[in-house]
Amino acid sequence: MSAPSLPYVRQTAGAGAARAAARRRGSGHGSERRPGWVTYLLLTLALAVFVLPIYYAFLLASSDAQTIAQNPIPGLLPEGNFLANVERVLESDIGFWKALTNSVIVATVTAASTVLFSTLAGFSFSKLRFRGRKGLLLFVIATTAVPTQLGIIPLFIVMSQLGWIGQLQAVIVPGLVTAFGVFWMTQYLESALPYELIEAARVDGASMIRTFWSVALPAARPAAVMLGLFTFVASWTNFFWPFIVLGSTNPTLPVALQLLQASYFKDMSLIMAGVVLSTIPLLVLFAVAGRQLVAGIMAGAVKG
Amino acid sequence: MRKTTRKAWALAAGVTSVALLATACSGNAGGDDDETAGGDITLTVATFNEFGYTDEMFARYEEENPGVTIEQKRAATADEARENLNSRLAAGSGTSDIEAVEVDWLPELMQFPDYFEDLSSPDVEGRWLDWKVAQATTEDGKLVGYGTDIGPQGIAYRADLFEAAGLPADREAVAELFGGDSATWEQFFEVGKQYSEGSGGKAFFDSAGAIYQGIINQEEFPYETEDGTVTAVSDGRVKEIYEQVVQASVEDGLSAHYSQWSEDWTNSFQNDGFAVMLAPGWMLGVIEGNAAGVEGWDLADVFPGGAGNWGGSFLTVPSQGANVEEAKKLAAWLTAPEQQIEAFNNKGTFPSQIEAQESEDIQSATNAFFNDAPVGQILSNRSQGVVVPFKGPNYFTIQQAIGNALTEVDVNGADPAAQWETVVGVVEGLG
Amino acid sequence: MATSTRPPRMRRPAQDPSRAPRRVGFSQTLSRWDVKVSPYLYISPFFLLFGLTGLFPLLYTAYVSVFDWHLLGGQGDFVGFENFAFVFNEPNFWKGLRNTFSIFALSTIPQLMVAVVLAAILDANLRAKTFWRMGVLVPYVVAPVAVALIFGKVFADQSGVANAVLALVGIDPIGWHAQPLPSHIAIATMVNFRWTGYNTLILLAAMQAVPRDLYEAAVIDGAGRVRQFFSITIPQLRPTIIFVVITSTIGGLQIFDEPRMFDQLGQGGPGRQWMTVTMYVYELAFGSQKSFGRAAAVAWVLFIIIVAIGVLNFWLTQRIASDSSATAKARKKVAR
Repeated sequence: MSAPSLPYVRQTAGAGAARAAARRRGSGHGSERRPGWVTYLLLTLALAVFVLPIYYAFLLASSDAQTIAQNPIPGLLPEGNFLANVERVLESDIGFWKALTNSVIVATVTAASTVLFSTLAGFSFSKLRFRGRKGLLLFVIATTAVPTQLGIIPLFIVMSQLGWIGQLQAVIVPGLVTAFGVFWMTQYLESALPYELIEAARVDGASMIRTFWSVALPAARPAAVMLGLFTFVASWTNFFWPFIVLGSTNPTLPVALQLLQASYFKDMSLIMAGVVLSTIPLLVLFAVAGRQLVAGIMAGAVKG
Repeated sequence: MRKTTRKAWALAAGVTSVALLATACSGNAGGDDDETAGGDITLTVATFNEFGYTDEMFARYEEENPGVTIEQKRAATADEARENLNSRLAAGSGTSDIEAVEVDWLPELMQFPDYFEDLSSPDVEGRWLDWKVAQATTEDGKLVGYGTDIGPQGIAYRADLFEAAGLPADREAVAELFGGDSATWEQFFEVGKQYSEGSGGKAFFDSAGAIYQGIINQEEFPYETEDGTVTAVSDGRVKEIYEQVVQASVEDGLSAHYSQWSEDWTNSFQNDGFAVMLAPGWMLGVIEGNAAGVEGWDLADVFPGGAGNWGGSFLTVPSQGANVEEAKKLAAWLTAPEQQIEAFNNKGTFPSQIEAQESEDIQSATNAFFNDAPVGQILSNRSQGVVVPFKGPNYFTIQQAIGNALTEVDVNGADPAAQWETVVGVVEGLG
Repeated sequence: MATSTRPPRMRRPAQDPSRAPRRVGFSQTLSRWDVKVSPYLYISPFFLLFGLTGLFPLLYTAYVSVFDWHLLGGQGDFVGFENFAFVFNEPNFWKGLRNTFSIFALSTIPQLMVAVVLAAILDANLRAKTFWRMGVLVPYVVAPVAVALIFGKVFADQSGVANAVLALVGIDPIGWHAQPLPSHIAIATMVNFRWTGYNTLILLAAMQAVPRDLYEAAVIDGAGRVRQFFSITIPQLRPTIIFVVITSTIGGLQIFDEPRMFDQLGQGGPGRQWMTVTMYVYELAFGSQKSFGRAAAVAWVLFIIIVAIGVLNFWLTQRIASDSSATAKARKKVAR
C-alpha cells in the first residue's frame, strides 16, 4: 500500500528481527499462565470475521447467477457449481492463463530483483565506506515518503516514449528495487554481518563483489526471504499502475479479474469464481510461507 | 550450511534470469508471432460489452486468410474502453489493431482524426445507412470508423405483469396501448400510471436514466450545435426533458429507482422489479441474460415520440498499429452484412448495414425468450425515421453529468433542482 | 532505540587491503578502483530507478501542471497557475479531498482500536501461537480488487448481505451507494478487512518489546490487567501507533483500487460520494476532460499534502521517541 515511515522503521527493522530471534531462543514473557477459553473464543470470532468474506466468495462461486439474485443471504453450505464456474472463468475471454503467467513473471522478477539490488545497496550502506554515504542513505529514507503513485502521468509519458505501454516491462521496471528494501537490508546487515567476516574475505584477496557474494548474501538470507515475500505479495496484488499501463490487452490477474464484469449482464457466480481462482495461488504461498510473513511483519516489515 | 545458502542464491539468480528472459519474449504482445512464424501476423480486436463476434467467426477468417491470427480483447465497460483507448492513443503505442468505439464518444475522437486510418473505400460504399456513415466522417471526408450496429428501440415489457395489472398483454394490443404510430411520452407515462394503479403501486420502468436516454436521443441538437456552441443549459429544452423525467420517475413513482448496470439493477430482473424497458437490439441480450428463467418478457413494436436510436458502435483502425492494411481488411470483413447478421443472431446487435437489415435472416428472425417476437422485423420497423442527434465533442461529458444527476435524484433521493445546478456547473466548466 | 547511523568502520583500518603494501601493479590499481567504485555501483540501481520512476515523474508533473496539456492534443500553451485555480474552483476536487480524508479516518481509527485489542489478546501465552497469528493475516493475501468485488456484493443497496442482515434485526436498509458516509464506511471496511491483521502483528511485536519488569512492578503495586493495559501497554505503544497511522496516511491518501471498484462505473458515485483524489487525478487525465495539466496540478496538491503530513510525522515521532526514551531512562534511575 505504501512506504513506511522511517523514524519508526529505524527503531524496528533489522533490530526487530534480531530481537525476534532472541525471543525465539528465550522463553516467551511475563505471565506464563495459559489464558482461559474466553480468549480463544474471542480469537476464533476474530478469525471468523477475517475468513468469512473469503468463504462468502466461495459460496457465491459455487452457486449460480439466478440463485444469487434471488437470495441476498446465501446458504451456509456451498452448492455444486464451483468447478463448472471455474471452468467458465478459464474459458472466458479474459485470458486467465495469460494473466496468471504475467502475474507470476511480474511478481517473481520484481521480488528477485528487489532482493538482489536491495541487498547490494544494503551491503554498501551498512558495511562499506564511501563519501556521501550518510547523506545518500538519508535521501533513500526520505524517498519512502514520496507518493510515487502521483507521478503516474509523466511515468505514463515515459513508458509511452519507451514504447512499453501494454508490455510487462512497464510494470516490472518501476518495481525493480524499492527504498524500503534498501533500508530494510541496510538495517539488517548492520547488525547481522560482522566486520570480521568481510575483513577475512578481503584478506584472502576477494574482490568486493566476491565478498558480497560469499559473505554478505548468505548473512542476509533471513531478511532477504522476508523482503522477497513481501515484494511478491505486493506486486501480485497491485492494481492501479498495471491497470493504467497494461490495460485489458496484456493484463495481470487483478486487471483481468475486473474484466469478468465485461459482459452485458453481471454473473456473480462467474465473478466470484474468478475472485477465488485468483486468490488461490497466494493462499497456497501463504500456507507455505505464512510463518515467514508473520515473522517479517513482527520484525518490522512494513506495508509493501 | 554455507553451501545450501549459496545454492539457494544461485537458484534465485537462475529464476530471475529465466523470468527476465520470459519477459523479454512475452514482451511485445501481439508482435511476437511475426518473428517466429515468418510473415504471420496477429490482429487484435478490442471491443467492450457484447459485439456478437465469436471465436468461430474469427476462426473462419483465419482460415480464409492464412497467416492471420485474431485475438479479441474485451474491456470491462464502454467507459473503460474509452479511457483505455484514449490513453493508448496519447501514448502512441499499445492500441489494438482494431478498436471499437461507441457512438457517444466517437465525436471527441473525431477531433483528432490523425490518430486513425481513413477507412473510406469504394468497396464498402453504400454499405451502411447514410447517417451512420456521416457520424464517422470528418468534415474533409475521412471515414474514421466502420459501423457495426445501431440501436433502434422498441418497448420490452413483461406480459404477465401487464396482465396482472389489468392491462393488455398481447404485443399488438400493447403497441396500441402506447399509442401505436402516434405514441408520445405523455402517453407512455400515462400507461405507467395505469400500470401503477392496477398493480398496487409497482414500479413501471427500471431507471430514470434510461428514459432520459430515450427522449434525448430524439433531439436533433441535444447539447451542441454544429458550430460548437454548447446549448445544453442555455436553450432550456434539456432542462425541460430533465424535469419531465424527474416528474415521472420520482413524483409519479414510476421508476424502480435503479442505476442501470448496477448490482441491484441486475438482480431486479429476477425479482419482478419493473415491467418495461426501452430496448434497443443490443439490450435484448442483456434482458435475456439477467432475466434467465423468468417468463413473460415480450417486445412491442412501438416507441414514444417517434423512432429513437440508442447506442451503436464503430470499428476503427488506429494508425499506430503495425498492420493497418490487414486490420482494415478485417474491420471491413467484420462489418460486412453477413457477419453483422451473425452477430445479430448471437447477441441481438441490430446491423447498421442496409443489406443486412433487408435480408431474410433479419426480417424473419424471432426470439424465443421474448415470446417468439419477430425481433428482426420489429427493430427494422423501429429504425425507420430515426432522428440522428448531432453529437459534438462535449456530448459524452454532458451526457454523463446529466446521467449522474438523474441517478442522484432517482436512486439516491437527491434534490432535483440542486442536481440540475451541478449539471450547469459541469457545462460551465467545459473547455 | 537502536542508533543506526553509526558510520561503518573497519576495526583495523591499517589493514584495509587496498592500502596494504603487498604488491604494486595492475592488480593493486584494480583493487583500489574496486574499493572506491563498488560502494557507489551497488547503490546505483536504486538511484537510477528512483530518478527514472520517482523523481523525474514528480518534477515533470510540476512542469505539466503549468501547461494547457491535452491527453490527445499534447502540450499546449503555458498557463501558469490556471490549472490549479481551475481545480480549486471545482466542487469535485473538494469532494475528493473530503472523501479521501473521511475514508482514511474511517479506515484508520477503528482499525487501530481493533488491532490493539487483538494484539493484546495475541500477546497472551497462547497455544498454537503461529496458527492464530497466521489466521489474522489471511486477508492480507487477498488482492484489493478481489476484496472490492466481494464487498461490492456485500454492500449492494437492495440485494446485498449487509442490508439483508440488518433487515433481520429490524434495521432499515442503508443506502451504501447513496450517501457519502455509508459509502465511506463500506470502502473503509474493505481496507480494514485487508489491513487490520497486518497492523495487529506490528502492534503485537511492539507489545512484546515492552520491558517485562514494568508489568512486574505494576503487579506488585496491585494493578489489574485492564489497568496495566491502559497505563503501561498503550503508552509504550505510542511510537508504534503513530507509525501505523503515518503508513496508513501515505497509502490511505492515495487510495484508488477499492473506491474505483465500488460500483460498475468507477467514477466514485453519481454525486461523487466516494471519489478520492487519486481517482480524480485519473479522471482528469483519462476521463472526460482529458487534461493532463489539471490532473498534474491535483497530483501536486496531494503530493504537498502528503509530504507535509510526512514532515509532521517525522517531527512527532522524533519527539515522542525521545520523550519515551527519556522516561525509560528516568525509570531506570529510579529503579536503581
